[in-house]
Amino acid sequence: MWYEIFKFELKYRVKRPETYVFFVFLLLFSIVGVDFVFQGVEIGIVKKNAPLIVAKTMGAITGIFMIMVSMIMGIPILRDFQYDTEALLFINPLTKRDYLLGRFLGSFVVLLFIFSGLLFGMMLGSQMPWHKEEEMLVFNVFSYIQTFSVVVVPTLFFGACTFFVTGMLSKKLLVVYTQGIVLFVLFLLTKAITNEYLQGLFDPFSLTTLTQFSKNWSVEERNLLSISLSNILLHNKLLWIGLGLFVLYLGYHKFSFTVLTKQHKKKKKIRQELPKTINESINVQIPKVLVKSDLKSKCIQLLELTKFYTFSLLKETSFWAIIICGIIIIAINSVSLGTVYGVDSYPATHFIIAELQEMSMYFFIILLLFYSGELVWKERNIKQYVLNDSTAIHNLIPLTSKFLALVNIYIVLMLSLIVTGILFQLANGYYELNLGVYFSGFFIEVLPFLILYTFIAFFFQAVSKNKFIGIFLTLIFIIINVSSAYFGFKNSLYKFGGKSLGIYSEMNGYGHFLQPYLWIKMYWIVFGILILTISSLLIQRGTATNLWLRLKRLKYQITKPVLKIVISFFTLFVLTGIYIFYNTNILNTYWSDAKELEFRANYEKKLKSLEYLPQPKITDVNLIVDLYPTKRSYQIKGTYILKNTTKKTINEIHIQKLIASHVLLKSIVFDREVVKNSQYSEFDYTIYKLKTPLQPNAIVKMTFEQSYTPKGFEDDNSDTQFVYNGTFFNNNILPTLGYNLKYELKDEDERLQFNLLPRKNKASIQDENELINARSGGDSEGINLETIISTSKAQTAITSGKLLKKWTENDRNYFHYKTQEQIINFYSIVSADYKVAKDFWKSSNSNTKSVDLEVFYHKNHVYNIDRMLLGMKESLSYFSTHFSSYQYEQLRIMEFPRYREFAQSFPNAIPFSEAMGFVLDIDNEEDIDMVFFITAHEVAHQWFGMQIEAANVQGRNFVLETLSQYTALMVFKEQYSKEKVQQLLDLQKEIYEEKRRKATHEPSLVLVENQDFVYYYKGILAMHKLTELIGEERVNKAIQRFINDWNSCDGKIKMNTKHYATSKDVLKYIKEESPKDMHAIIHDLFETTKEIKNQY
Amino acid sequence: MQLTINNLSKTYDNGVKALQNISLEMSNGMFGLLGPNGAGKSTLMRTIATLQDADQGNIMLNDLEVQTNKNAVRRLLGYLPQQFGVYPKMSAEVLLHHLAVLKGITNKKERTNIVNALLHKTNLYDVKKQSLDGFSGGMKQRFGIAQALLNNPKLLIVDEPTAGLDPKERNRFYNLLSEIAENTIVIFSTHIVDDIKELCTNMAIINKGKVVLKGNPLELIHQLEGKVYQKVIHRNDLNRYKDSYKVINEKLFLGKPVIHIVSDTNPDNGFTPVKASLEDVYFSQINN
Repeated sequence: MWYEIFKFELKYRVKRPETYVFFVFLLLFSIVGVDFVFQGVEIGIVKKNAPLIVAKTMGAITGIFMIMVSMIMGIPILRDFQYDTEALLFINPLTKRDYLLGRFLGSFVVLLFIFSGLLFGMMLGSQMPWHKEEEMLVFNVFSYIQTFSVVVVPTLFFGACTFFVTGMLSKKLLVVYTQGIVLFVLFLLTKAITNEYLQGLFDPFSLTTLTQFSKNWSVEERNLLSISLSNILLHNKLLWIGLGLFVLYLGYHKFSFTVLTKQHKKKKKIRQELPKTINESINVQIPKVLVKSDLKSKCIQLLELTKFYTFSLLKETSFWAIIICGIIIIAINSVSLGTVYGVDSYPATHFIIAELQEMSMYFFIILLLFYSGELVWKERNIKQYVLNDSTAIHNLIPLTSKFLALVNIYIVLMLSLIVTGILFQLANGYYELNLGVYFSGFFIEVLPFLILYTFIAFFFQAVSKNKFIGIFLTLIFIIINVSSAYFGFKNSLYKFGGKSLGIYSEMNGYGHFLQPYLWIKMYWIVFGILILTISSLLIQRGTATNLWLRLKRLKYQITKPVLKIVISFFTLFVLTGIYIFYNTNILNTYWSDAKELEFRANYEKKLKSLEYLPQPKITDVNLIVDLYPTKRSYQIKGTYILKNTTKKTINEIHIQKLIASHVLLKSIVFDREVVKNSQYSEFDYTIYKLKTPLQPNAIVKMTFEQSYTPKGFEDDNSDTQFVYNGTFFNNNILPTLGYNLKYELKDEDERLQFNLLPRKNKASIQDENELINARSGGDSEGINLETIISTSKAQTAITSGKLLKKWTENDRNYFHYKTQEQIINFYSIVSADYKVAKDFWKSSNSNTKSVDLEVFYHKNHVYNIDRMLLGMKESLSYFSTHFSSYQYEQLRIMEFPRYREFAQSFPNAIPFSEAMGFVLDIDNEEDIDMVFFITAHEVAHQWFGMQIEAANVQGRNFVLETLSQYTALMVFKEQYSKEKVQQLLDLQKEIYEEKRRKATHEPSLVLVENQDFVYYYKGILAMHKLTELIGEERVNKAIQRFINDWNSCDGKIKMNTKHYATSKDVLKYIKEESPKDMHAIIHDLFETTKEIKNQY
Repeated sequence: MQLTINNLSKTYDNGVKALQNISLEMSNGMFGLLGPNGAGKSTLMRTIATLQDADQGNIMLNDLEVQTNKNAVRRLLGYLPQQFGVYPKMSAEVLLHHLAVLKGITNKKERTNIVNALLHKTNLYDVKKQSLDGFSGGMKQRFGIAQALLNNPKLLIVDEPTAGLDPKERNRFYNLLSEIAENTIVIFSTHIVDDIKELCTNMAIINKGKVVLKGNPLELIHQLEGKVYQKVIHRNDLNRYKDSYKVINEKLFLGKPVIHIVSDTNPDNGFTPVKASLEDVYFSQINN
């Protein structure tokens, strides 16, 4: 008998459209599965179709589409109840076992068919032309089938059992929808398990399990080994299959086959309770009513219906299940916030909100997809539409109220998340609640996005034949719209919804990003209103008809009020569109990606030949900088003294203006006669031919005026240098000399597109042209800098040099800085509303002056200032004792907004990102004092970078970064216990190994290019090993000698060779200081990519 | 109020011709639609109730064309469908308020008055707080009547309204309908012939999508008067009688078949003349 039920189920499913819709959807999705799941993740040398990668992709896709499992497995029993067929079914001579078994197996077979789309999709995907041959292994059908059977089928079985039982017992469709989320929550919960084995064991999608499973595999093994059912994977699968069987068993016992009779009794009971008295109210007169259709009554209708639908959603248990799940997830995930090098930040509101936004997106999308379907189809599903549809209400009113009800539901979820966030902060003893940030985080950043997609969801529901098709059309629309950005479809005027708001900085709020964001959101919301109006004209009313017929009858729907709405919103849409276009494309130049690539390629093609043309060097810079933070603009009057340091006469001076909109460079004047040649003006590149050539050692003075006045707003404004509070830029905005490498295309594929050869990350260590260059387009061998900066009254402006004077004039603050010794031609200017902490440091050598220490910080970020000051002092002491004295009389740290996450050293000034340590919550017991360490590293750059400049060739970052890492470690070691040092090294090792696994290429330290995992993380480990081998003293001695010989100011070798130092030079001193028998090991450490062994 | 139906036709996608060239005229008062199951009564009523579009022909309510002025018609319309669902876990009172809002009765006091009055009229006042999904079929039907009357309709369409009502409730309902029909067009479909005779001033018989007869019930009966004869026969002879006479109806009387025939002259042969009934009119059309 069960076989009959089984066959019936199959036959039924064969006719259902969703069977095929799901299959095709999975197939299509899986074709790009690997690229989707591993997007942005460097899988490195592991091939894209290695069994492990395939397995992880399959696991992830199964997890993502658990909702399909739920929609297939949750309904077979429910269906009988929904269509009231249960009475017919249950009176048949049918046993419970046959009925349930038939339904379950039938649906499960269909489920396997649907998910075979995943298998075939991935196979097809591996054959797609966009893969490069070197990324792929030879195609092997069996390996796909094996992986599918091992990874996917057991997960599906568990899901099938669970969802089948919950659907059967709850008999509610919304439970079926939401239970996918519950499993997702479960998955996230497993992430919180600290025990690796248990975490792997409990992962329902086997992702962590696979990571554990392949933990000890080498790269070759990762490519070769198939995914077999053994070890932890076996345990994991057994656990979940067992659980599935258990749930099925429980459900079988709980399910009552005689539900119907029970229900019947209940009904009868009610009937008996009815009063039998026929009351004589038959004579009551039916009062006259006024049926109104004026605007006021329409508003009342809208209000009443919105209330009605909102409450009907609030009564849904599934909604509360979602809220509770959301709260649980947030509570778990917020445990570590804003983590930098393993240290968490204080639970500031913007961290919490970022976490909430990220985690809750899944829930919001679920609400959006399913509740929109549920609401739009509500009356049809229960067949009440016959009553509602014959009333005189215009379609737009119920549809709008359903829309508003859903928006209300989003708001309820947001408010409960906010309350959770606040409770979390209070529980952690953090009392700086920032309600404004909570509000804007949800209501400005998330709500508009949801509202826009809800319009779309309602539209698709209105035109679709049923709810499921509507849901899938919406989902496909969302996916296409989101992914279209990767194909260059970005212009906010035609990309639905525009862009997201970006990062919130406590220093600068949303800054200038808010205005365009709001305009573009308004533009699309108006569009959404139009869409909703059109939906109301197309939605089914009365007996079901197909869309084509409804379109034909559209003309009768367009009544005057509707026409008024459409015309007025369309006008508004066009007007906002024009305003946005005026701002982004007329006031500003809109650069499409393609246009920008072409420009860069042309720049290189036309100008590359001028790269090493001899140019004079800048020796003195004088700047008068007026900053206008509220307008994000500046005016600079500058003077360069240019000196011919070459041995040849120079006939032409080439000036490259910064290539950026609204930057004007004018009044370039030389103190001798020139002829201007503008043949490259399209690249803002001007050649000044000197009437009398510049002889060796002769100088020329150049003055210029540069201004920046942004107008309107841009579509893709990523400028974070000039902001309302927290301006931070450096001298590369100023005119430079000759060809600029930075404008070249970097990506290999993009270069190929324009027939450009791949370019090196760094010049070869023997490149004579670059050995005399400290950085790309260095333009100088050292300068004197004098600046007068003015800024708004609330702000403080800071640059390199000594502050000679500060004053206030015309409601503006003025600062006069001057360097007292030569600095490198690399300096920054910052301006923000700062608080300042001051201290000083004096060396043990009493002849030197004391150094003024200052930390400029945002008013709330007081937590780690003392650690920074301590770091500065300890570093200055250590470096001046072991290497050379500190060259300046000031050292400053300035905070800048979190748009950029780094700290960077300039002469006597260290801009330090808001995100990099100002808000870290350091527990001295458990955490590493990363603020201290980063400070020490940056102070080290005052030596390695300012005193010593490295040649712009391979190994440059070894000289600058690895030595800074080493010296920071030594300072750290003086301050903290052995255990903390070990903890720090372990962390560095962990990061090194993780990044190394994903990297495509690993050079040796001596030849390192821009691989940060080598020069930071391997570097510190190698240097630490070196101290173990030859002792800290010898290492320091080597470095001291290296600085002495190679420093930019008076280093003997530097002066003689004109070359800048390279990694090989450093290594020479190290080898000289170490015993001969160590040379082989030193060679291994620095000149090979061999692993750093514990014992040598 | 005047409702005119001109040459209305509708063919479903599966080829069923639900309406074929139907033309009818109705004014205030009760209009009965009589016909067997599947005759097209519900299709016709749904079309008048703006829930479905016809392929051809039109319907005019006074000067309003129904198909193109649906919302104007809906303002005047009350409709009780043959079958309908309701929101789960919702009381009669709340749902009536909800539907009243949909119908445009936005003044809260007015709404409360009419909802209460109708709850009394349909004898649901005492159970107004009870959930509708616990209602019996008859109670749900009464709720359906109440909701149809919320907006003082000028055109009331009731599709098989008395199905599931006990005789007492049915009488009560008929009283209500005839009270309303004084200044309203009430279109009323049924397959119970006697109901029409009791209530309707005008009627039409529909079969297979066509109007086969229309007029005043009494006049229709009068036309058949003196032509109907009946005879108690033996069961085995039925087919023979069917061949020789125009048998319009056969029923059982004390277990034996009684046939009614139509004949302009007295057929003798054991037939006795009987008084023509509306049922004879009906079957004389249907069984042709």
